[in-house]
Formats: sequence, C-alpha cells, structure tokens
Amino acid sequence: MAETAFREGYVDADGFTIRYMQAGEGAPLVHLHGAGGLRLSPAHELLARRYRVVAFEMPGFGNSPVNTRTETMPELASTMARAVDKLGLDTFNLMGTSFGGKTSLWLALQQTSRVQALVLEAPAAIRQEGAAPPAGTPDEIARRLYAHPERVSAPPIDPALRAKAQPLVQRLLGPHRDPDLESRLQDLSTPTLVLFGTLDGVIEPRMGRIYKDLMPNCHLVFVYDAAHAISTDRPEAFTEVVSDFLERHEAFVISRAETVIHP
Amino acid sequence: MKVSFFETVRYQAPKPLPSEWPVPSGIYNPDAGARAYRGMIERLEFVEALGFDWVSVSEHHYSPRILTPSPIVSAAFLAAHLKKIKVALLGPIVPQSNPVRVAEEIAMLDTMAQGRLVVGLLRGTSNESLTYDLNPTESRERTDEGMELILKAWTEPQPFGWQGRHYRYRTISIWPRPLQQPHPPTYALGVSREACEFAARHHLGCGVSYGSFEGVGRATKYYREQCARYGWQPSSDDIIYRANMLLADTDEEAQDMLRKLPGQAPFSMRPGVRDAMMTIDSRNIAGEARSPIVSGALPTTFIGSPDTVVEQVRRCRDVVGAGVIDVSLHPPGSNELEPLMRSLELFGKKVLPRIRDI
Repeated sequence: MAETAFREGYVDADGFTIRYMQAGEGAPLVHLHGAGGLRLSPAHELLARRYRVVAFEMPGFGNSPVNTRTETMPELASTMARAVDKLGLDTFNLMGTSFGGKTSLWLALQQTSRVQALVLEAPAAIRQEGAAPPAGTPDEIARRLYAHPERVSAPPIDPALRAKAQPLVQRLLGPHRDPDLESRLQDLSTPTLVLFGTLDGVIEPRMGRIYKDLMPNCHLVFVYDAAHAISTDRPEAFTEVVSDFLERHEAFVISRAETVIHP
Repeated sequence: MKVSFFETVRYQAPKPLPSEWPVPSGIYNPDAGARAYRGMIERLEFVEALGFDWVSVSEHHYSPRILTPSPIVSAAFLAAHLKKIKVALLGPIVPQSNPVRVAEEIAMLDTMAQGRLVVGLLRGTSNESLTYDLNPTESRERTDEGMELILKAWTEPQPFGWQGRHYRYRTISIWPRPLQQPHPPTYALGVSREACEFAARHHLGCGVSYGSFEGVGRATKYYREQCARYGWQPSSDDIIYRANMLLADTDEEAQDMLRKLPGQAPFSMRPGVRDAMMTIDSRNIAGEARSPIVSGALPTTFIGSPDTVVEQVRRCRDVVGAGVIDVSLHPPGSNELEPLMRSLELFGKKVLPRIRDI
C-alpha cells in the first residue's frame, strides 16, 4: 500500500544521481535509510498524511552504481545535504534509520540551522561492542530486523543489491564508539528523538541512553514489541510519537490524550 | 527449602455472608475488619518467631476471603511491624495497574524495608478482571507489557518514553530506585506458557500455585527449558510453589478436616457471568489449554501428619523443583482462627525444622 502514494524522482548532487520517493504535503521530512537500502514501510505512508516525506536512496544503495567515491560518513552527509538543496528545501525535519541515523547526525551537525528536528530510528552511531549487522539469506535478515515479519508489506531487498552496498557501509559506519562524533554531539542542540524497539536484536536498546547522556536536547522512547525495524513492526505507534515530536518538540511530553468516556 | 506464610487476613464476619461475588460491601463490619488486621500482626509476629523466611500477600477484591485489595499497602504495613522476615508481594495484578506506579511503590517499599522485599507480578485470577472493568481478552497482553515496563522503569538510568500497545508514557524516571539492585528478587507468577517465557527471557523467577505437583511441574519444566533456551539455569530459589496445607497430628485427622471442607469456592460469580467467563478467558498450563478457575475450591496438595507432609514437601521438590513453598495453613473455605493457629504451631515445630535441608 505504501508504494502507491509515493512518486519517484531524481536529483543530481556531487556527481551522483540520487533517487528519492516523495509523498504528502506539509512540513518537509527527509528520511535517510538503513544499511539495507531504501524500502518504504507503512510508516512512510502514515507520515505522508501529515508531512511532505522525502525518502532518499543514498548513492551506492539500491540500483544506483557502486559508490567507491564517498570515503567518510561526514562526506555522505554533505552529499545528502546538497540533494536536499536541490529539492529547494531550506529548513526541514530529518529522520535517519540505523546506518542513516549516523548520516543524519552528521548532516545535522553540518546544517545546524536548517534541521528543525531530528528523529533517529534505532540509530547505528553508537553500538555495543561486537554488534553484527544482519546478514545471510533474506529470511535470516528478516529474523534479525523484525519482531513481526508478518507485518512487512514491501518485498525484501534484493540480496545482490544489499551485498553491493556492504563495502560502502563498512567503510562509512566507523567504530562502535566514535569519539569524534560523540564530542561534537555535546554541542548539537537540535531537538532529537531517539527510538529503540524493546526487542532490537541488532543494536541493544540500552545504547539509547548514551545519546541522552551526550546530547543536550535529546528524548528517548522505547517502542514496545518492536525489533530493529521499528517503523515496520509498529508503524502506527512509531508514526504517532514521531509526528507528535515533530509538531511539538520537547512539549510532546504533555499529554493530549482524551479520557472522557461520555460527555 | 525456604518457607513462606501466605497471609490472607482472617476476617470473621459477625453475621453469615451471602455466597455471591462481589459480596455487598454494606455487610462489612468495620470493627471486625479492625480485629482482623490486628490479628494479622499478632499472627505474623508468631510466624516470624517460628522462623519462616517470608510472609506473602496477594491482591484480591470485593470479598472478605482475602482482605488485601491493595497488596502494597499490606506489604508496607507488615514491613513496618515485622523485623527480619522478608515480605513477598505476590503480587500486584499488573493488567489493572499503572505499571509505573507499581515500579515506584515497590522501589519505595524495598528501600523503606531495607531490602526485605520479594516481588511477584501476575495477570490475576479470572474474577479479578471484573474488578476494574478489564477486558479479559486483553489481560494477557497488558500483563506482559506492564511487566516489561516495570522492569524497564527499575533499570533504565535516563528518562524515557514508552510507546506501547496498551500503555503510553512520554517520560518516566522513577525515584527512588529499589535498594536491591538492579531490582528485588522478582517472579513472574503463573503456569502459562507466556508467564514462563517472560520469566525466562528476563531472568526472573517463576511462581506457580495450587495445581497438583504434576500439573504445576509441567509449567516449571517448561520454564527451565525456556531458561536454557535463553542461556541460563534457574536455581531452586527461582521457583515458588503456593499451596493449601491441611496439617494435623495424624493423617486421619487431616483427612477428616478435608472431608469437612466445602467443595465450592467461598464466593462465586453468578452463573451467567461464570459461564461467559469460561468462554472468554483463555488460560493454559505451559501452552496446554486449561479452564479458567471460576468456581470450585482450590485443591489441597499438602495434607496429613507432620511426617506425611515432610515427605510431600520432598516430593514437591523433586517434581515441581520448587525451592520456596508458600503455604496457606488455614483450612480452605473456613475463617476460623483456632485451626489455623494450631496448624501454624504444628508446622513451626514439627515440619519446618525438618524441611530446611530438602
């Protein structure tokens, strides 16, 4: 269902032709995907009801040519910032998933005044020692990513395309703790929402607290009964808290839930 | 073997009571209630002197059968009056609680009681879902989620939000945290597949109750298998078995007491409610479907003279694997105090010293 509402587009940035999927109207929400590549989820569709969602496919992922040029994560972030420029977006919200969470942190550091709020879905910028990315057959990968594989609607990412991007992922992901990034995060005051699924088997949910330790304006939310791919496992729950945070930033802690049963 | 005394507060009604649950609260006698709670403390001072390891309390509503609708209040009162004995809060009915509040109150009480708290978390018996209008079909899911949230609230050092199925909080950061770190000894109570798996996954103990040794033994076996799957091995202290005990000087006397017991639960739901509950409330032992307990007396699995009961405790250890027995020593369905005190004394003198090494 998610695919239909989204329209495909391309922008050129830093010599790469970058594909994106776009839907919805409202404040822009730029999404940077995880190490497997771009795969639309029901959460994209739900978010597109309130936001102009632009989900990029970063150079080297999907059907784009092998990316041997980008050497570092800050470099990839800077390329993606140029891609956002090409869409004419001055200020925007930024959401990064896993690998793309680290890209998003660098992008926010580079473009502090443009990123209004940052959402990090199971970000891979800080990992437990020895954390292993999902690998193997599509089934094996699905078992690592999802608590509810039955909720996955999009077809699995082609193993060949996933494999093709892995050298890039390995080159850019960096160590499990990255002192350079972490020291910079202490000055990043962008409103930030970090989400971890309680069943994340790729990056331990306890990594979430380190972002809060480091970042001055960070909020941590656990999504119950979700694994690494939170937005696929629990799209409604994910969208509700993300939308609320994007709208109200830190005031999202004030409940608007109504409990009147009958007037 | 560790031994726990299940305290139910013996309310002695001045007048006969109707047998239907909920029991009209207008019949409640405040003086009889005050006597019951005073008697509880006197009894438990004796229990403590006899050398019991724990006293346990539970959550039940709308009848005088077990007069502890708020087990945390009972536990706090007991912890303040008693000196050494551990207080086992077995436990808050999680699906009808605010899990954050449960986490806070337990942390607070564990600290005030200088770390003398033991905790059990559970779904609750079928009738309890009527107490606060809980949909029985949601109670399992609410229990699992609530228990997970309680554990998270105890252990997560940074303020966090919880985006659950049944619970949503934007910010949680409890003060105080428990004195016992990371949290008091905690048991998932129940014989279901879900309770056993939850306990295994979170490295908790498992508490089973009232079934035959073989019946609850199926659950504890399943629990141990699940623990192995999660890469750890529980000790016998990780398994509690709660049961009725009818103890007398001779086997004949004990059997005579059993014959005099009513075959029905003291307060039962109306037939239409009971029958509907039978179809709505799904229950299992280690994955095998069982009927919800909506009427009928709970079985008595320890019965006889001290010699006989010592052998039964030994068998319980072998079959159930329990390292803690939580015993209800008053004749089920009776609210008389005298037989309870007689059993208690007999247990303390003739049974307790002989089951320590089991």
